Amino acid sequence: MEVRISPQMSVMEKLKILGAAAKYDVSCSSSGSSRQNDGQGIGNTVAAGLCHSFAADGRCVSLLKILFTNECIYDCRYCLNRCSNDVPRASFTPDEVCELTMEFYRRNYIEGLFLSSGILYSPNYTMELICETVHKLRTVHRFQGYIHVKAIPGADPLLIQRAGYLADRMSVNLEMATAEGLKEMAPNKHRRNILKPMRQIQNGITENKHELTLYKHAPHFCEAGQSTQMVIGALPESDYQIMSVAENLYDKFSLKRVYYSAFVNVNEDKDLPALAGGPPLLREHRLYQADWLLRFYDFKVDELLAADRPNFNTAIDPKADWAVRHLELFPVEINRADYRLLLRIPGVGVKSARRIVSARRFGSLTFEDLKKIGVVLKRALYFITCNGRMMYPTKIEENYIVRNLTYQNQMGKGEKLPFMTDGTIYQQMSLFS
Amino acid sequence: MEEKYLVCEDSLEGIFTGIYEAYALREGHEHVHIQIGEEDNYRLFAVYLHISPDTVKTGKVARTLLERLGESVYHGLCRAAASCYPDKGEAVYKAVVDAITQGSGRHVMENLRNPYVQRAFELARYTANEAHFETEFIRFQELEQGILFSRIGPKNNVIPFIMPHFADRLCPENFMIYDENRELFGVHPAKEEWYLVSAQGDFIPEQLKWSVKEEGYQELFKAFHETIGVKERENRRLQRQMCAYRYQDYMVEFQKK
Ligand code: SF4
Repeated sequence: MEVRISPQMSVMEKLKILGAAAKYDVSCSSSGSSRQNDGQGIGNTVAAGLCHSFAADGRCVSLLKILFTNECIYDCRYCLNRCSNDVPRASFTPDEVCELTMEFYRRNYIEGLFLSSGILYSPNYTMELICETVHKLRTVHRFQGYIHVKAIPGADPLLIQRAGYLADRMSVNLEMATAEGLKEMAPNKHRRNILKPMRQIQNGITENKHELTLYKHAPHFCEAGQSTQMVIGALPESDYQIMSVAENLYDKFSLKRVYYSAFVNVNEDKDLPALAGGPPLLREHRLYQADWLLRFYDFKVDELLAADRPNFNTAIDPKADWAVRHLELFPVEINRADYRLLLRIPGVGVKSARRIVSARRFGSLTFEDLKKIGVVLKRALYFITCNGRMMYPTKIEENYIVRNLTYQNQMGKGEKLPFMTDGTIYQQMSLFS
Repeated sequence: MEEKYLVCEDSLEGIFTGIYEAYALREGHEHVHIQIGEEDNYRLFAVYLHISPDTVKTGKVARTLLERLGESVYHGLCRAAASCYPDKGEAVYKAVVDAITQGSGRHVMENLRNPYVQRAFELARYTANEAHFETEFIRFQELEQGILFSRIGPKNNVIPFIMPHFADRLCPENFMIYDENRELFGVHPAKEEWYLVSAQGDFIPEQLKWSVKEEGYQELFKAFHETIGVKERENRRLQRQMCAYRYQDYMVEFQKK
């Protein structure tokens, strides 16, 4: 197989081009797989994933995130590598990717490889290159660390299956929340070509689970599940539309993670929003918060948003927003409420809720105890009682509470926003609790 | 009744031996304390007993704790004992009393009412957090002989807690982690068990010679690290918050050319 590459280009030049080209893909996680070294090679994986560094934008660097090539036959409007752009092009060889991965991994720079690609000649041709690279890494180099690869939409299902047996995680990017949006932004892509491999991977994972219960040593298929990504703010979709799609992906496609990527107008496309204030980071942040509520707090999208209230409140986080609209449920007695209800209290996170449940077996808890447990009292105090008493006499009234919560924000004491509200500073999800 | 201070060495052995001796006194625990190292201000009317670390006694205490309190509590206590805070000896000792003598047993961690228990597990958390960060942020350099070498400067004694991770991950490699604050090495010969050794004489990491290719990979990683940030989202404050300067000081990608 002949690969169209510029052989005179150094690995350094390629890495700069193909690292920069991959950076808008936001999935960086190395979580979901837990595998010990088998003594035959190098590497293992840790269930929670590890971050090995932090980039200038404050985001975690966990994997060697690169494109195999930024050559591309498609012309997606949001992408720097679209065929109509005149940008420097480069392609790695499989051996170069293997060497970089191995040498970076030994030095503890990375947790593994994230390999995506532009489409060189055809989806099959590209997918085959990806498979060859990862296969070499697993067999010749006996690499046992984390591997995340893209499934190229439109590639032969056999190639996708092959990749799935080599990778810890696979992903196909949904790109746009709606099929029409996708058509507008990525004229060569079709929604069904994206959903098809997604379904195939999901089925592969399910079948693999059966195999593994029958034969303990059966090979793993995408042990860390699959993820996807949507671009936010390029088109006028509402948060409600976006979150409903995400909920569907979790429920119907069993995705592990949905990522949201604030639109950056890299091509200075005049028909797309210029976004003077920078990428819509606050909105992206609210979507991630809501996403956590779906995955860990047992919320449904319809509880958070509705057709007549399609976007998140920018002033307070989605959980507090839900709480002030359901004041009839509050205050909640900390010493009696069940776990599920504890989770719904603003200022109480998953960890604190668990700690409350185990600590109150030793005797009833006071506000002082809650503080030690890690409950954020200045947010929770409007919603809880300890032994029948509230922390301070306070009104349980929507406007009053919202005013207090947002006042805290203005004073810089409330919700820790990961960035200034002018959008210049961004923080990875340290999350509300 | 007079207060008794058992003066112990700053090590897991020191603290566990101290606990053994405290029980051997059979005087209850209210007036008995463990102190790490000598104190400048001796208290009047207090008795100071100097305890030298003892392997056999340490082993007995370790076995008892492990059997009666389970692995997770036991490891918590070990992490607390590896802390850089001098009150750790007393905190670990009194947490053990809470668990074994006052009977909270395996649930000792959840006993929020006992300030020593609180403190012990707070210290354990500090050590665990730092060990976690070190597993992420450690950078190995390849030396001439192909050995991987890493230098760190942790607040707490984390090497014993990070060696198992790397021994599994880098099983076929010869590697060494050097804690320059304690002058302590964690050493892993390829495919063998790892062990700890103290630095002998003057060890100067700067004198180690890198392999031919080492610098090239460092440059590649620096370049990658620089390219991967999205300019429109630059946020140095956050970067610092997620990866403190005291780690950055040891990481190649943060070193100026
Ligand atoms: S397929 Fe579209 S998004 Fe992917 S590299 Fe090509 S132009 Fe960019």
